[in-house]
Amino acid sequence: MLERILILLLFLIGFAGIVGMRNIIKKIFGLTIINSAVVLLFIVEGSRIGNSAPIIDAEIGLVVDPVPQALMLTAIVIGVCVTALALALAFRLYKAYGSFDIDEIHRQVHRES
Amino acid sequence: MKFTGRFTVSPESSVFSLVMLPLLGAALVMLAKAFLKGRMAAGMQFTAMLVGLFGPWLALLYTFPLVWSGLTVEGVIGNWSGVVGITFQFDGLAWLINALGYTVAGAAWIYSLGAGPRGPVFSSVFLIQTAALAATAMTADIFNLFVCLEVLGIASYVLVASSEKNGAFLASFSYLMVSASSMVFFLAGLFGLYRLTGSLSYSGISQALLALPDQGGGLAAISLSLIIAAVAMRVAMMPLYGWLPDAHALAPHAVSAVLSGVLIKTPLFALSRIMLIVPLGAAAAQLLGYAGAATAIVAVLVALSQKDAKRLLAYHSISQIGYVVCAWGAALDLGMDTMAGQHLMTAAFLHAFYHALFKGLLFLSIGTSTDRAGSRNVYTLRGAASTLRQSGERLPITLLSFIIAALAISAIPPLNGYASKIAITYSLKGSWQYWVLSAASIGTIASFIKLSRIFWPQPARIRLMATEEPSAVFMPSVATARHSGLPAQIVPGPMTDTSAVKRANLPVGISQAMLALACVASGLAAPWLYGFVLRLLDSAASLGFTSLNPGPALYTADNLLKTLYMVLAGFVLFRLAVSALGSRLLSLVRDRHRGFHGLFLSFAVGLSVLCVWLLLV
Repeated sequence: MLERILILLLFLIGFAGIVGMRNIIKKIFGLTIINSAVVLLFIVEGSRIGNSAPIIDAEIGLVVDPVPQALMLTAIVIGVCVTALALALAFRLYKAYGSFDIDEIHRQVHRES
Repeated sequence: MKFTGRFTVSPESSVFSLVMLPLLGAALVMLAKAFLKGRMAAGMQFTAMLVGLFGPWLALLYTFPLVWSGLTVEGVIGNWSGVVGITFQFDGLAWLINALGYTVAGAAWIYSLGAGPRGPVFSSVFLIQTAALAATAMTADIFNLFVCLEVLGIASYVLVASSEKNGAFLASFSYLMVSASSMVFFLAGLFGLYRLTGSLSYSGISQALLALPDQGGGLAAISLSLIIAAVAMRVAMMPLYGWLPDAHALAPHAVSAVLSGVLIKTPLFALSRIMLIVPLGAAAAQLLGYAGAATAIVAVLVALSQKDAKRLLAYHSISQIGYVVCAWGAALDLGMDTMAGQHLMTAAFLHAFYHALFKGLLFLSIGTSTDRAGSRNVYTLRGAASTLRQSGERLPITLLSFIIAALAISAIPPLNGYASKIAITYSLKGSWQYWVLSAASIGTIASFIKLSRIFWPQPARIRLMATEEPSAVFMPSVATARHSGLPAQIVPGPMTDTSAVKRANLPVGISQAMLALACVASGLAAPWLYGFVLRLLDSAASLGFTSLNPGPALYTADNLLKTLYMVLAGFVLFRLAVSALGSRLLSLVRDRHRGFHGLFLSFAVGLSVLCVWLLLV
C-alpha cells in the first residue's frame, strides 16, 4: 500500500509541476516525473506475482510478469523522445522571446498577433 | 513484403504495406539526405514521397475485394501467438480511414511542392505521420494504440513547429505538453485494464471484463474514462479543444489541411473499435455524443468571432468534428447491430470524410490567398481575388476552390457537405441534438459569409496604392498593413519573386483542383457513396442491413426548404454579427483569457465528468 501512496504522491508532484510552474523547463520536468510515476506503477505492480526473473526454461516457475516490463521499455523510449522534443521547443521559445516564463511568452505572442 | 507462392501477396502483407510503405519512404528520404546531393537527392526524395503516399493505394485496391465481401483481415504482427503478440484488424472501417488519410495526405503533399514546406525533414516526418495514421486505423491492441497515438503526436508537434513562426513554437509546445500528459493518463488507464484482465488486445479485454462478476466495477470505469479522455483530447471535442486553434492556425497550410482533415478523426474511429465491445462503452459514447453536440454549437460561435482567417477555419474544424462525434456517439450508444446505429455511423464517417475534403481545400485556398495578400485579418483584408489574379493565376482556381469549399461546409446542395449533414440530421430527427446541430449550421453559414468578404473588392484607398506599383505584386497590401498598424502575417522572401510564384502556382493549382473536384464529385455521387460506406461498415458487423434501407432521400422539398431557411437565418446572423453590438460581443468572446493552464483545467474537468458518468451508470 505504501508504495502505491508514494507513487500517487510522485504523480501529483509531477502534475503540480506541469500546471503550477511558470518556467517551461520545470513543466517539462513535471512531464518526466508523471511519466516515471506511471512506469514505476507498472513495474511495482507487475512484480507482485512471483519473484524470479522471467527466463522460462524447462519448468515454468514463479516468474515476474514480463509484459509490464516490456511495455514500460517502450513507454520510456517514447517518454525520452517527447522530452527531447519539448526541450528543443523550449530552446526555440527562449531564442524567440528571451524567457522561459510561460505567461511572459503568452503575453508576447498575444502582442504579436 | 513477404511473398507466399508465386507473386501472390498475402492479405496480411498488403495490409502491413499500408504502414510500411510510408515508413520505407521516410527511410529513403533520410538516406537521400545523408548520402546524395543536389538533383539526385531531390529526385530520390520525390520518388520516396511517391512510394510512400501513392504506393499504398495499390494495397488498398488489392484488399478492397476482401473487405467488400465482408471479410476482415486479422492477425498478429510477427506471427506470435495471440496471447502475447500485437493483434490488428483490417475491416471496412480501417479501409475507409486509410482511403481518407491517403487522399488528403496526397493532395497536401502536392500543395507543399508549390507552397512549401519542402526539404527532407518535413518530408520524412510527414511520411511517418501518415504511417502512424494507417497503423492507428487498424490496431486492435490497446498498447499499440498508445504507441500509434504517440508517434502520431510526435510527428504532428514537429509539423506544427515546422512553419518556423514564433507563435507556432508556443502552439506546438502547448499541444505537446497537454497531449503528452494526457497520454500518461492513458497509460494509467491501460494499467487498470491490464491489471483487471491480464490482456492487451481489445477482444481479450472485453471477454475478461464480461467474465468478471461486476464487469470490472469501479476500476474498469475509471480506467476506461482515463483512456477515452486521452483520446478525446486528440479529437479536440468539448471541453478538450483548447490546444487546437493555435496549432492548426499556425502550422503550414499543407499541414493544417492534414491535421484538420485526418488527424483529429482517426483516433475517434480507432476508439470506436474498443468502445463497441467493452461494457460501459455505450454509456461513454452517449456522453461523448452529447459533448459533440455542444462542441458543434460552441465552437461555431467562437469561430464567428475570429479575426485571423486560419484560426477561424480551425474553430470550424472543432465545430464540424462536433457533428461527427455527435453522430458517432449516438451510433455507438444504439449499437452497431441496429439499423439506426449503422446509419448514424455511416453519416458520421461520411461527414468526417467530406469534412476532410472541404476543410483541406479551405485551408489550402485561404492559405494561398492570405499568403499572396500578405494579411490574414478577416476584418481588413479585401480584394484577395484581384491579388490572386495579379500573382499570375490565369484560371481563378484558388477563388473557385474557396467558393466550392465554403458552399460545401455551409451545406448548400449539391455539394458533399449537404449530403452528410442531411444524413446526420435525418438519423437524429426528433432529438434535441437535431436542433442544436441545425443552429450550428446557421452559425457556419454566417461565419463563411464573413470569411468570404476577404475576396470582395478592395476599398478605393488600397486599390490606388496597388496600381502605383504594378511590378511588386505583393508589396502594396503588406505595406498598407504595416502603415495602418494592422496585424499582418507578412510572408517573407521567396514569394516576392514573381517567377518563383509562377512556378509554385502549378502544384498549388493542381492540389486545389483535385480536392475541389473531389468535393463536387462526392456531392453528386452522394447517394451512391452512402450505400458504399454503409456496406463497408456493415461488412464489419456483417448483418446485411444494406439492402433494407438505402439511406435518406437528399433532394426532398422539406430538405431544400430547410436549407433555404438556414441560409436566410445565416445571413441575418451575419448582419447581427457585423452590427455594432454584435461585434462588441464577439470581440469579448475573441479576447477571452486563454492560457496554458486552462488546457489542463479543462482536461481535469472533462475527465472527472466522464469518470462520474461511468461510475453512476
